[in-house]
Amino acid sequence: MRESTVMFLHYITAILIAITGLIHLLANNDPGIGAVIKANSALYFGNMAIFLAALLYHAFNGVRVILIEMVPDKCWTKWISWAVLIVGIVTYAVGLQVLMVALGFA
Amino acid sequence: MEAESEFKEYYAKNMRGISGWFKARAYTIERWLYAAHRITGILIVLFVLAHFYSTGWHPGLWWDALLGIIVTFHTANGIRLILAELGFAVGKPLLVKKPSQRPVSIEGVQRYLVVFALVLFFVLAAIWAYYALVVQPMMG
Amino acid sequence: MSSEEAKEYALPPEVLEETIRASEELWKPVRKIKFRIYKYNPRKDYAPHWEEHELEVSRGMTVLDALLVIKGEMDHSLGVRYSCRMGLCGSCAMMINGKQMLACQTRVLEAAGDGDVVELRPLDNFPVERDLAADFTSFFEKHKAVKPWIIRNDEVELNNPTGPYKQTVDEYARYYQFTDCIKCGACLSACPTAATDYEYLGPQALAQAYRYMVDTRDDGLDVRIPIVDSEHGCWRCHFAASCSDVCPRGVDPAQGIQLLKKLLIKRKFGFKPHKPAEALPAKVKAERKE
Repeated sequence: MRESTVMFLHYITAILIAITGLIHLLANNDPGIGAVIKANSALYFGNMAIFLAALLYHAFNGVRVILIEMVPDKCWTKWISWAVLIVGIVTYAVGLQVLMVALGFA
Repeated sequence: MEAESEFKEYYAKNMRGISGWFKARAYTIERWLYAAHRITGILIVLFVLAHFYSTGWHPGLWWDALLGIIVTFHTANGIRLILAELGFAVGKPLLVKKPSQRPVSIEGVQRYLVVFALVLFFVLAAIWAYYALVVQPMMG
Repeated sequence: MSSEEAKEYALPPEVLEETIRASEELWKPVRKIKFRIYKYNPRKDYAPHWEEHELEVSRGMTVLDALLVIKGEMDHSLGVRYSCRMGLCGSCAMMINGKQMLACQTRVLEAAGDGDVVELRPLDNFPVERDLAADFTSFFEKHKAVKPWIIRNDEVELNNPTGPYKQTVDEYARYYQFTDCIKCGACLSACPTAATDYEYLGPQALAQAYRYMVDTRDDGLDVRIPIVDSEHGCWRCHFAASCSDVCPRGVDPAQGIQLLKKLLIKRKFGFKPHKPAEALPAKVKAERKE
């Protein structure tokens, strides 16, 4: 994947995190709005699934950017990218299961 | 012998290393924001990993307010960076320059964007602190 | 010129006197400044050391003037690179009190400020050649890597040119600012990414890539995209904007890199900034035919 695609998704996920993260925060911290949001648990689960995906992409890509700036060697850069991708996918799979249990879908 | 050649190489290369990321003195405010954005980013990743590991963990009361400062700074400055890095707030190249021209990308529209990001940061951090210090204890 | 004419053009005596007085004032020593100079020869020395020299400086004295006095009178072994002494060649960029500046354009008293010490180091993030001179090999290689020349695909026109390529003032204004680059290396030295990432192309090369990509005479957009859109290309810029801050020529490389990112994203969605310019029929050639 071209670096511009990766970084464009980095910005898109940043905007997604700001929106879905705000919903997540309100749901857990504001009693009034939180009750309204959590009333439809399927929609809230969808929100959390998008939030988790966007957050993991943004966070792990951020870590990758910092690491390849620290270790600019060509070979290392390739391994860092793959390692970060695999760790990210595994974390998303586990996180999705935890979410399903917590919101009562499993 | 090995150590000695490494020592020589260090001075011959003259790279600042990671301390160079945070050498913000003598430069403009964008450099401070860059350093702070990177540090807050790393701190948020650490928090998120802990938040996943024991689901829903958060540090509690005053630490929550500190977490709010970290997250809201990254958000507000991130909005500025998205606008600037995709070329929307850095102005146009000049055809006529003054004898000691200051860069348009720093002292043009982008200056207002910096102010906007800082104001947004303070407002968001205050709202977060209100929720962390007042609303959360009431919810129990 | 006759003597009468010379009299006519000569300055009135009081103005002349004032001019001479002001000029003498400019070069009269006013303060004693201590220069801390980095001394290191990587081929000989085990580690760098600092040397201190005290010098009476005048208001008009630049750091390069002071260095030449030190080299001539105090320390003949001092390694310093310069050539034009007027901020056009970009040979004398160095760290003056911790910031990248041209030695020939910075006055000593300006650099010293309220203090009386001026600290001189070679450019950060560049290999040291000797003392204050940095090794620019990799810097120029990065510049060459982005193909800083006009790329054309019309072979017939190139082999038998019929006239100059068409370009309006607006199209010229898109890239003029970046052509002022003197390759002094201050921007790459100030860049925080370059502090660790030696593969990073750097503000200078990326701004030059943008300069050629938006030039209407150029047809090499898609040739340069794989080079600047790589893992150590323009996306390693995080807009710390120090490169523009230190640029002695007002080139504003940070702006160039952000506009380059915008161009790459637009290209991703199928947008091309321009069609390669056509050749204008040359007047001279038409007249010759008749």
